[in-house]
Amino acid sequence: MLTRRRLLEGSVAGLLASASGGCNDRGSGRRVVVVGAGLSGLNAALILERWGFEVDVVEAKTRVGGRLWTLDHLPGSPEGGGNVMGAQYGRVFHMAHHLDIALRTPPRTLPSDYFIGDQRITRASWASAAANPLPEAWRSIPPQRLMGKLNDTNPLLTTRAWHDPDLMASDQSADVGLKALGFPKAAIELIDANNSYGNNLQDTSLMALYRIMGEFGRLSGPALAVKEAALGNMRLPEAMAEQLTRPVSLGNPVVSIQHSSSRVQVALASGETLEADAAILALPLPAVRTIEVNLPASQTALLNQINYHKVVQLHCIVEAPFWEASGWSGSWWTDSPLGRIFTRPIPNTPRYNMTVWINGDDCDHLHALDEATCTETITQALWQLVPEARDVTSAGQLVRWSMDPYAGGAWALWRPGQAGTAHGAIRAPTGRLFFAGEHTAEAYRGMEGAMESGERASLEIMRVLA
Amino acid sequence: MRLRVLAVFLSAVQLGLLSTSLQAAPLTGEQLYDVACRACHSLGTAPDHRVGPPLDGLLNRQAGTVDGYQFSEALRTSGWVWRLPTLLAWLTDPDAAIPNNAMNYVNPLTAEETQRLSEWLLQQP
Repeated sequence: MLTRRRLLEGSVAGLLASASGGCNDRGSGRRVVVVGAGLSGLNAALILERWGFEVDVVEAKTRVGGRLWTLDHLPGSPEGGGNVMGAQYGRVFHMAHHLDIALRTPPRTLPSDYFIGDQRITRASWASAAANPLPEAWRSIPPQRLMGKLNDTNPLLTTRAWHDPDLMASDQSADVGLKALGFPKAAIELIDANNSYGNNLQDTSLMALYRIMGEFGRLSGPALAVKEAALGNMRLPEAMAEQLTRPVSLGNPVVSIQHSSSRVQVALASGETLEADAAILALPLPAVRTIEVNLPASQTALLNQINYHKVVQLHCIVEAPFWEASGWSGSWWTDSPLGRIFTRPIPNTPRYNMTVWINGDDCDHLHALDEATCTETITQALWQLVPEARDVTSAGQLVRWSMDPYAGGAWALWRPGQAGTAHGAIRAPTGRLFFAGEHTAEAYRGMEGAMESGERASLEIMRVLA
Repeated sequence: MRLRVLAVFLSAVQLGLLSTSLQAAPLTGEQLYDVACRACHSLGTAPDHRVGPPLDGLLNRQAGTVDGYQFSEALRTSGWVWRLPTLLAWLTDPDAAIPNNAMNYVNPLTAEETQRLSEWLLQQP
């Protein structure tokens, strides 16, 4: 509830912000509520505070970071959420440097061998293996590189081209589009088996795949090197939150938002109502769906139509490299329901982090299980696939992003027909409501996209209120 | 008494009672730089940790020539020199200005803001 005391406190804070110099006091007296304490919301909040705004950040979860989630309770502190900082992630790197968050080159994930149709194939023998289902001209391409063949015909030569009306013929089902491009059936099935950019190819825009492959294609060599926070990626949003004048209100979901052309009222589960001049919904769309808020009909329709990526991870600890005696690698790319298995050493120990990474519609049956049964189901499938792992491997943490009501999935996906206008329409400000989050970013995806979107949303607010 | 009047005035501002009468001023070049450039570029003189080159002393600088940064071949060989027309063209749409550049940036500013930012940047010593 907005009280007189709170008003006066706010007034004093505004005066102090003016007096303290800082960037300047242009926004002083103006209040903004940021809903969501992930990278996008925190970045927007920090920018707005720098320019004199009074910012309240509210977060439904009991921690900051959103879809960054370092599993600190496991050896090696594996990342349950965002794990890769690309070499061009300038905003992420700058923030990390500014806040003394040490970055490192990640320990190298072991290269993948393959399980295709229950047959083991070493990466060295992929091209000649009998179980390799690809036709002759395609046999030497490893499964994880098949989608890269799109760059032979990629029409996207610039960052923004995926919205180009002249190219919208490619905003079609990737399944149909890949066939039309001459991708063999076996290649399409392998791409569909572990596609990180769609839940299934029928419901994925080919344009979205062109966008991502084009991004990889434009980068090469050192530009593809990645970083991670040495003590866990969560340390970055935690440090950002500590910079804020007011602490983030944690475990306090937003229930409803009333807004007009000049004011916003944000009602919280705690019973408190925050009054502000503007609000940023720095949330993944499934989390926005949990809030009672009046949006234009076109935006509401999109809100319900944009899909999120299904990801289930089982994070395991491996006590000893069981694969060494057999000559196999400890990482596997499979066309089985287990998806991919990524294994990497825990620095300065003999142990390894192993992540079973299942994505897309293969997650559906796992989402229907309770946590213990889901963990057991994946574990048993793992023992069946790699029996030698059993004696030295233990399950540590199940992560199911689609089951989290405040995430609803790992990241936004673009369905056929959504590349042209949906991306712009879903983030369009309405009254004093503004939108941020990786799904609203133009140039980047992932963590950098989140940071980019926070800049854009704060800019939109400063235009109106500064 | 004066303090009380001030408190009432500030309260009124915060309630939005006066918000319709307050016009937002156009964002300054410094603000635009802060929001749209600062994370990747500094105004310091020495190469730093940021992914893009420092922007101080930009006027009449040849594009892609600051030591210690990985420029695209497209930018290095562009022959561009940073002055108002080139900077405006570059910031408006980097991909259109110099295709295959490495900035990977989509300008969120209006044309007017881009002009203001460009003028301000070129004045930085």
